[in-house]
Amino acid sequence: MSNNLTTIMESSRHAGRSYVDAMIRSELTDAVGADYVSSNAADQLGHSIDYYWIPEMWHDRGRDNPKAQYIVHPGSAEEVAKVLRIANNYRIPVTPWGGGSGSQGGALPMYGGIILDTKRMNKVIHIDTEALTMTVETGMNAQHMEWAVEKKGFSTMHFPASIACATIGGFLAHRGTGVLSTKYGKIEDMVMSIEVVTPEGEIINTLPVPRHASGPDLTQLYLGSEGTLGVITKVTLKIHPIPQCRKFHAFLFKDMHQAMTAGANIMRSRLRPCVIRLYDEPETARLIKRVLGIDKQGAYLVFGFDGFESVVDLEMTEAIRICMRENPEDLGEELGQAWWDNRYKFFYPPYMFHMPQAFGTLDTVATFANIEKVYWAMKNVVNQNFPEAAFIGHYSHWYEWGCMLYARFIVDQPPKDPEEATAYYNRIWDMAIRAAIANGGVINEHHGVGLKLGRLMKDLYGPAFKVLADIKKVMDPNNIMNPGKMGFRGV
Amino acid sequence: MCRHLSPVGNVTYRESDTPRGRALMLDKVSQQPQLLENPDFQSAIYDAELSAACRTHCVSHFDEAGLLLAARRDIVESGKIPAVVKQVADSIKALKLALKGDAKAEVIYYVDRYTERYQPEMAAATEKILKAAGVSFQIISGADTGKALAVLGCWNEAKETAEKFAKSIRGVGKKVLITSCPASYDLLKNDFPKYGIDLANELEVLHTSEFIRRLVKAGKLSLRPSTAQSVFPLASDFLGNYNTGFTAHEELAALAGVTLQPFGFNREESYTAGEGGVVMDELNPRLVAKLVEHVLEQVDNPSQDMLLVLSPYTKYVLSKFATKKLHLTTVEELIAARIKE
Repeated sequence: MSNNLTTIMESSRHAGRSYVDAMIRSELTDAVGADYVSSNAADQLGHSIDYYWIPEMWHDRGRDNPKAQYIVHPGSAEEVAKVLRIANNYRIPVTPWGGGSGSQGGALPMYGGIILDTKRMNKVIHIDTEALTMTVETGMNAQHMEWAVEKKGFSTMHFPASIACATIGGFLAHRGTGVLSTKYGKIEDMVMSIEVVTPEGEIINTLPVPRHASGPDLTQLYLGSEGTLGVITKVTLKIHPIPQCRKFHAFLFKDMHQAMTAGANIMRSRLRPCVIRLYDEPETARLIKRVLGIDKQGAYLVFGFDGFESVVDLEMTEAIRICMRENPEDLGEELGQAWWDNRYKFFYPPYMFHMPQAFGTLDTVATFANIEKVYWAMKNVVNQNFPEAAFIGHYSHWYEWGCMLYARFIVDQPPKDPEEATAYYNRIWDMAIRAAIANGGVINEHHGVGLKLGRLMKDLYGPAFKVLADIKKVMDPNNIMNPGKMGFRGV
Repeated sequence: MCRHLSPVGNVTYRESDTPRGRALMLDKVSQQPQLLENPDFQSAIYDAELSAACRTHCVSHFDEAGLLLAARRDIVESGKIPAVVKQVADSIKALKLALKGDAKAEVIYYVDRYTERYQPEMAAATEKILKAAGVSFQIISGADTGKALAVLGCWNEAKETAEKFAKSIRGVGKKVLITSCPASYDLLKNDFPKYGIDLANELEVLHTSEFIRRLVKAGKLSLRPSTAQSVFPLASDFLGNYNTGFTAHEELAALAGVTLQPFGFNREESYTAGEGGVVMDELNPRLVAKLVEHVLEQVDNPSQDMLLVLSPYTKYVLSKFATKKLHLTTVEELIAARIKE
C-alpha cells in the first residue's frame, strides 16, 4: 500500500512534466540560482496552506490543496524582475509568498504556477538616525526586523501577534496592524516609500516622502494590493525611540456599551494611548478569564500610554478620570500589565481555536456612530442563522473617529464533509460581512481580502470596484499576478 | 508559527525547513505514513537542526524536535533509511570505546568524537585544569555514547551503544563523569533512563563547566584576573533548550572575571550551526556551511570579537566552514589560560 501510493505520487509528479516544464525551470534557475528553485513535494505542501481555515480544514480532512509547480526564492528586486518577465512570457500565474501567515488565503497558489517566496530578501539596508527611518528588504521576518532596529536603540513599534512568522512585505501587502497601532498607526501609516517590481518586470520607486502634493499617492495604491499589482521588494519605514516607560490600566465595565463610551471618550479627548482594547462580555467570560484569570461578568477594557514618564502619568490620570465617569470596577495597573505580558497568548494554543472547530475573524472598522450597530448586526445574523456558533468580539485598534471590531465566530462541530464545510463556512462569512457593510462597516480592517473575501469586494465597493479592476487590467495585462484574489479575475 | 527561530529555514528560505512547514509535513505523514518514504520529506526531516528552540521560545512550547526525532525513528524502523544516514550510522557503530588511566580515579572524563578528532586543545585544557586542581581522572573515549545514533533515528542501536557505554563505567564505585560535549551530557542526564539504564547511584554527570565551577568555588583552582576583552557566548542547544536553566558557563565566566556580551540580535535562534543534529556536518556539510555563514553574519567584528563556544561540534564546524577567521574559545580553554601556575 505504502509503496503503491508513493509510486503513484511520484509518477503523477513526473507525468505532468515535459520538456516545456524543464525549459521553464532552467530559465528560473538561470534567474535565481539552482538552490532557489524547487519543485520539492515537501515545499509544495508547505506553500499550499496558509492560515486560512478552508485549506487548513481541507488538509485536516485528508484532501490535497492546490500546489505551485515551481517555488522560487529571488534574492533581489532584479531577480524578482527576471522571474516576472519569465512568467509574463509564458503566462504563468505568480503568487507572492512572505511568511505564509495570512488568514485570507492571499498567498495560496490556487492556479498552480510559480510561488515567489520573498524570504531571501531579508536584509536591513539602512537605518537613518536623523530622520528616524529604516530601509529593509521586504522578505525580512518582522521579529528579526524589530530586534535588528532595537539593537540600534530604536523600535518599529509594530507588534502584531504574527510578528514571529510574518514578513514585513506581508504586512504591506495586506495593510496589517500591530498592537500599538492606536498611537503609532497601521503599517500604511508607517511607510515612507517603497520599491516595487511591476508585473512586467520593471523596478520602480515611489516618492521618498509620504506627504506631498505631487499627484496621487502611488505608495498607497500598492499597499493592500496583496501581490496583485506587483511585488514590493523594499520599504522605508518610520522608526521610533524606545519609550522611557509604558504603563497600563484595566477596568471592568458593566457592559460593552459603557466600555465603548469610555474608550470613545478617551479618543475624542485627543489623548494618545498606544493601545486600547475592549472585550465584549462573552469574550471577557471566555478568554480574559482563561488567559488572565479574571472571572467576572462585564466588559474588560485595558489601555496603555508610553513615552516620557511624566507625560505618561499625566495622560494616564486623565484617561482614568474619563473611564471613571462610567462607574467601572477599577482593576488597576497590575491587571492591565498582565494583559500586555500575555498579549500573544490569546492567539496560540491552547487559547486559540483549532481543528476540527470552524472559526473566523470577522474584523471590520467603522465610526463610533456605527461600530456598535455593526457589532450587533453581525452578532444577530450569526446567532439567528447559525445558533450552533459562538460569537465573541473585541475592539483592538482605535482612531480619532472610530475603532476596529475583531469579532470571531466559533463552531465546535462544522460539517465533516469538506465541500459541505466550505459552503457552510462561506455562508457565515457572506451573511456577517454583508450585515457589517449594511451598517457602515467594511469587509476587513487589517487581515486583507485574499481568496476568502474576494467575492464580497463588489458588495463593498459597488460601481467603484470597476476602477480597481481597470487598474489591475492596465498594470497587469497578462493577469499573472496573484490571479483570482481580491475579487479580481482568475485564470 | 514562529519562523524567526529556525536556523535552517533562515538559510534555505524553504517552507519545509520552518516549524510550520515541518508541522504540516508531519501532520501529512500522520495521515499517510507512506510519505515517510518520500525522498523530499526524508531530506527535510534529516535537514532539521533540532535546536529545540520551539520548546523554549514558542508561546505554546511546541515540541518540534521531539516530533522530528520520532519521524526519524519511524523512517529507520520502516527500513527506508536514507543511504547517507545509514553510512553515518554505520561509521559510528564501528567505533570502539577505550579507557585510559587509573580505574580508581575520582573522575571519569568522557572525550567525545569531535573533541578527540578535531579539538584536542579542549581535551588538553580540561586535563590541565584537572591536574592543576589535583583531581585524579580516567579518560574514556573513542566511541559515541549513543546520542548520535539516537538523533539519526537508530533507536535500537543507540540503546545498545548506550548500554555498552554504561557497562564500561559500571561497578567502579561512586564517580563523577564529566564531558565537554553537550549532546553526550544530555544523553547521560536525560536519555539513559529512557533506555532503562540507571546509573544514578553510581554516577554524577556534570558538564565540564559545572565541574570547573565547583573546583573554583572550592578554592581548588586559582585564576588570574581577566583581560578586558569582551566575550560573546553562543548558547548551546543541549545546554539550553534541552536542559533549561543551565547557567554554569555564565557563572564560571563571572568567577573568572570575563564579561559576557549578548551575541547577535536574535535572542531566540540557535547559533550552534546544527549542534542539536549532533552529526549534522556529516549528513549535510553544504547546509552546515550555510549555517556557519549565517552565524558569521551576526559577528560585529570578526577580527576582534571572541566567541565563547559551548560545544566541540560547534567549535569544529565554525573552524572548518567559516569564510573568515573567527576567534573561538571554550570554557575549558578560557579557564585553563587563567590558571595561576
